[in-house]
Amino acid sequence: MNDCERMEDSIGPWLDGELSAAESELVRAHVTACARCGEARLRLETIDRALSSVLVAEAPKIEFASFWRELQQRIEQKTPWHKRLLERASDWTSAPTAAWAVPVLIAVLIAVLSYESYFPIRRSRNNFATVESIDSHGRNVALLREDESKTTVIWLYQNQEGDDEAAEETPPAGPAF
Amino acid sequence: MELSDWDLVQKCQSGDMSAFQELVSRYHQKVYMVILGLLRNREDALEVSQETFLRAYRKIGGFKGGSSFYTWIYRIGVNLAIDAQRRQKRNPLEFRDTMDTVLESQNEVARDPFAEVHDRELRENLVKAINDLTPEHKAVIVLRTIEGLSYKDIGAILGCSEGTVMSRLHYARKKLHDKLRSFL
Amino acid sequence: MKLLKKLPRRVLLFSWLSLVVAGTLGAAEKQPQSVQVSIGTILAGNQSDDFDVKLKGMEGQLKVLKYRSYRLLKQESQDVPWRGAKVFEIPGGRSLTVTPQEFQDNRVSMKVRLTQGQKPVLDTTVKIPNKGNFILGGPPHEGGVLVLSISAAAQ
Repeated sequence: MNDCERMEDSIGPWLDGELSAAESELVRAHVTACARCGEARLRLETIDRALSSVLVAEAPKIEFASFWRELQQRIEQKTPWHKRLLERASDWTSAPTAAWAVPVLIAVLIAVLSYESYFPIRRSRNNFATVESIDSHGRNVALLREDESKTTVIWLYQNQEGDDEAAEETPPAGPAF
Repeated sequence: MELSDWDLVQKCQSGDMSAFQELVSRYHQKVYMVILGLLRNREDALEVSQETFLRAYRKIGGFKGGSSFYTWIYRIGVNLAIDAQRRQKRNPLEFRDTMDTVLESQNEVARDPFAEVHDRELRENLVKAINDLTPEHKAVIVLRTIEGLSYKDIGAILGCSEGTVMSRLHYARKKLHDKLRSFL
Repeated sequence: MKLLKKLPRRVLLFSWLSLVVAGTLGAAEKQPQSVQVSIGTILAGNQSDDFDVKLKGMEGQLKVLKYRSYRLLKQESQDVPWRGAKVFEIPGGRSLTVTPQEFQDNRVSMKVRLTQGQKPVLDTTVKIPNKGNFILGGPPHEGGVLVLSISAAAQ
């Protein structure tokens, strides 16, 4: 990178008064001696003058009394709850707060998703066995869930034609549930 | 003896409304000019300026004096203006009307008609070029041009470093120059 | 809080994320190697009012069936690999084949087949809580009915 390319980036801060005394002198000396950088300076100054004339000149003077009157009315007016909520939300989404919110949110999400891993016993106490499929090959079958003891029961009724096992006496009737 | 901004803030925090009124009188014009520079519409700029001071009134209890009052109030105003810009939908014709109003209000002294046309065209295109900048780039241009604030103060208002302010200014000026090359 | 504000934001963010990742690794469900399947074979009937003391832990569950007497005939446990089948002998010429399928959300999924000789009597797929059980009952035996308590514990 040559002198001019280095200097070009410094002309703006120099005109803005942001450089140290030593740096300013360096830039001033170069700009005075170099035609190209001298032109760059002129362009920047023209842009700045034009900006001033547009941005500064066009702003009308606001009459303070009417401005204050209007502001007082707004202050005395009760802000709707949803607007207050939005203001709070916009404060919370400001950059410094958001930087904290992101890792906190991630931590909360992971904790919620991992909750069951940390409390498996508690979880299993609350769960019944679930029957996902059943084929009783033509026999009558009943499914039962009992809340108090958290019991899942699959009950096979005796086939009307009789099982292979010979029974000495008639087996008792099926459970009374 | 005139009270400092911080003295007035402390009085506000104790419930002294006249202290807040004094702060508003000191800064309402400056805040309005900056917001107008960003929004390019007087009615919107007035509305956002009012909202700026209303927010400041509500939040003044939490102002700890970590920054100067004017940095704090500009920060509120610029953030509101940037939000408003993002919501704003303007068409070029409306923009031109604003420019016409500006030129009428300026009461320019008649001079070389060619120079007058050139200046008018330059300003028209400059206004359009400013409006084409992103809200963040427009903000640095406006704060620097209107208020002559230092890079440090601009950075404090916008919540960025001095280096970022410098590079945004450099970029914005370059963009403006590229768009106005034929007029310069 | 002031001290926290002074630390570089990136360092803090990195620390947070590291904590979160470490926590996640700790919390991640470890896949068990095998399943210990236990079958309790119980004879339920109405010929007496005897309740086998060895079944005290299951009293609440068995009372659901409304029989008057319960006797533990046998208790058998076997380690069964995932997708591997193990056969348990059940009185009356029956057998129970258990095939653990998978372990998810702290529940054991398994296929269960009850056969009478070579004939299938029941095929079912159940999901039970780890270290939990379900009851399979009804086949007649010695004047009563067989009640099977089938439990699984992933290891």
